[in-house]
Amino acid sequence: MEKTEPGRRNWKQPDRVQGSAPGVRPIERKEKQIMSIPVTTIWAAILAAVLPLAAFGMILIGCRRRSSTSATLSIGAMSMSLACAVYLLATHGSAGVPLAFAKKWMVSGNLHITVGFLLDPLSLLMMVIVTAICFLVQMYSLAYMAGDPGFGRYYAFMSLFAWAMISLTLAPNLLQLYVFWELVGLSSYLLIGFWFEKFSASRAGKKAFIMTRVGDVAFLLGLLLLLAHHGNLDILNLNDPETTAHMRPMVITLSSLLIFGGIIGKSAQFPLFTWLPDAMEGPTPVSALLHSATMVAAGVYLFARLFPFLGHSPFAMTVFLFIGTLSMLMASCMAMVSRDIKQVWAYSTISQLGFMIMGLGAGGYFGGVFHLTAHAGFKALLFLCAGVLIHAFHTNDMFEISRQNGRRMRITMTCMVVAGAALAGIWPFSGFYSKEVILGRLAALDNPIWLLAGLAGAFLTAYYTFRLVFIILFPRPEPHVARDAHGGHRESWIMTVPLMVLAAVTLVLGHLERPLAALIAGGDSVSKVNGNPAWLPPLAMGLCAAGVLLAWIEFGRKGARQSGFVEQWPVLTRLFAERWYLDRFYAWLVDRVVDRGASAWCAQNDIRRIDGAAHALADSAVNTGRVLATWHRGLVQPKLMVMLAVFFYLTITLLF
Amino acid sequence: MTVPYTHVVFLSGMLFLLGMLCLIIRRNLIMMLLGLEVMLNAAAIAFVGASLHIGQLTGQAMTLFILAVAATEVAVGLALAVCIYRRTGTVDPACIEGDQCSL
Repeated sequence: MEKTEPGRRNWKQPDRVQGSAPGVRPIERKEKQIMSIPVTTIWAAILAAVLPLAAFGMILIGCRRRSSTSATLSIGAMSMSLACAVYLLATHGSAGVPLAFAKKWMVSGNLHITVGFLLDPLSLLMMVIVTAICFLVQMYSLAYMAGDPGFGRYYAFMSLFAWAMISLTLAPNLLQLYVFWELVGLSSYLLIGFWFEKFSASRAGKKAFIMTRVGDVAFLLGLLLLLAHHGNLDILNLNDPETTAHMRPMVITLSSLLIFGGIIGKSAQFPLFTWLPDAMEGPTPVSALLHSATMVAAGVYLFARLFPFLGHSPFAMTVFLFIGTLSMLMASCMAMVSRDIKQVWAYSTISQLGFMIMGLGAGGYFGGVFHLTAHAGFKALLFLCAGVLIHAFHTNDMFEISRQNGRRMRITMTCMVVAGAALAGIWPFSGFYSKEVILGRLAALDNPIWLLAGLAGAFLTAYYTFRLVFIILFPRPEPHVARDAHGGHRESWIMTVPLMVLAAVTLVLGHLERPLAALIAGGDSVSKVNGNPAWLPPLAMGLCAAGVLLAWIEFGRKGARQSGFVEQWPVLTRLFAERWYLDRFYAWLVDRVVDRGASAWCAQNDIRRIDGAAHALADSAVNTGRVLATWHRGLVQPKLMVMLAVFFYLTITLLF
Repeated sequence: MTVPYTHVVFLSGMLFLLGMLCLIIRRNLIMMLLGLEVMLNAAAIAFVGASLHIGQLTGQAMTLFILAVAATEVAVGLALAVCIYRRTGTVDPACIEGDQCSL
């Protein structure tokens, strides 16, 4: 269909570039585009995506047993990817025009499946986030995973994840995105079940894989629906207002909702969020990388990626807003009663992802993306801090860590407080600014209930975050327990350097709001960012402060009982600790309805009716054959019998 | 006083049927031969009764033939039965072919 110039690689064949009017003299346009994408850009994008894959293959094939070599390979590939990502962001981030180039992979009738890259501010920003956090986490893992028998395997899987995630980020069409979406799910499964000899870990891996698969089926159906009605899955094409103008609103709404199913699964939203807390069975760096900062944010990223398309259906947007709000509040409630430090961060991840989806669902494109960026930084930091504590004290229980004097680890605790403040949304940390943008969007909605829910979420977030911080910082006085038994923990610098880098990012990122807004959303939305009502920031800050204060009264001050206000109602405590009974409900659903109900009925039907009918048919044939067989065995007596019977019959008929 | 002809025919008919049943049902070559003998003798009785009823001797001559045939038949038949028993180890006609004795 397209003509390739001789001597040029197919790679450089751009499919389209948005921004110029489509449909007018395509060949001429094509020539211009080829000129506009420099070769270095293409090579940088390819390198960034493919290097981790190469590292994965080399580690698995060559040096799984040699731990230092595999770590070197993986981290080397990752640092190259990071360099490429930064280079791409620096050169193309401000260009304003998305660059897309793709190569045909499969052609079947009208269906052209392409692979390639889409470089626009959103994907470049996400790519930098992913590569940077991957790099830091891999550095951190050098110390955290040291001595583990599966060290090489760990780095191989990390590289696999990096490859899948970078390619997902850069995917120019939804099909490629879906492929890597699944690959990311696979690496998540492999890494959650990394310590597979532990039964709970392998179970959690399976649970995560299967529950996200439920959402992915919806996603795939949405893609097929789009393919059937539009015949094209190109992201830029879908986001084009002209495309949606041709489609029926019903189809847009339905496909939006189906695609959102994938987002629900991957970003652990209601009702599929119960896999995420269990996913904490994996190594803590994995939780930091996959299950808080990057992979679970892929759902939100997909939302932002398709934001103009999804925004065409007001009904679907309301549903997104509702689901985001519900997930945020439910997860915050669960985080208030958990004793497991990683579980608390997992719940807060769910709630913050819900908050991003709220922001996007309310139409705040920049707010969602900004919070995604900020969250990636401070949540990775929180998990890495938790990892240091868990590594040192060999327990996940925050009271136990507190009892063993976890606050002695000064760098870790400082970083944790910084990240916790960002999570709670306290000035001047990054979370404050990004939450402010989202709350501003919610305030602009007609229905005040969304804003109220958002503010309630902010209050609860501050409360549960500082509940954990205060519990660890102010241990309960227990005179009869020897407290300084574990005084000698050193904080390895390999672990603390990534912490400090991320803490610095958390401090600085909030002040980069304007450049980021200009980068992500273009100049027009900068004014919107400043359009928040004047009463909002003080109110939000006041609620955060109230949450922190409440946590301090209950857990921090001298003589505090160290039990939250929720724990005065055992019913509520149980409800939250049991995750709203959702797991029970799913177990019941699968066991009673699916397993013993539908599946048992099908089995019965199969055995009784289908097998029974087949057996009856076969048996009757066998029996008939057996009866008939007695007549042709050449035996004397039956022959005689027949002969005599015929003889008698003839005699009688002849006589009478 | 002579036996009425109908009684003789009834007796020979019953004997013939019994012999036929024995021939069809028994699972033993020798018993089958015996059944055959009974059938032949039933025919012989019918001949004798008829000759008495009609008043001619043809029927009795026929009976002598039947006795001779029956004697030779038994001799050959028993010899065959013994021979079969030696070769196959059984006198069950269903088993002589070597399969499905249970039927």
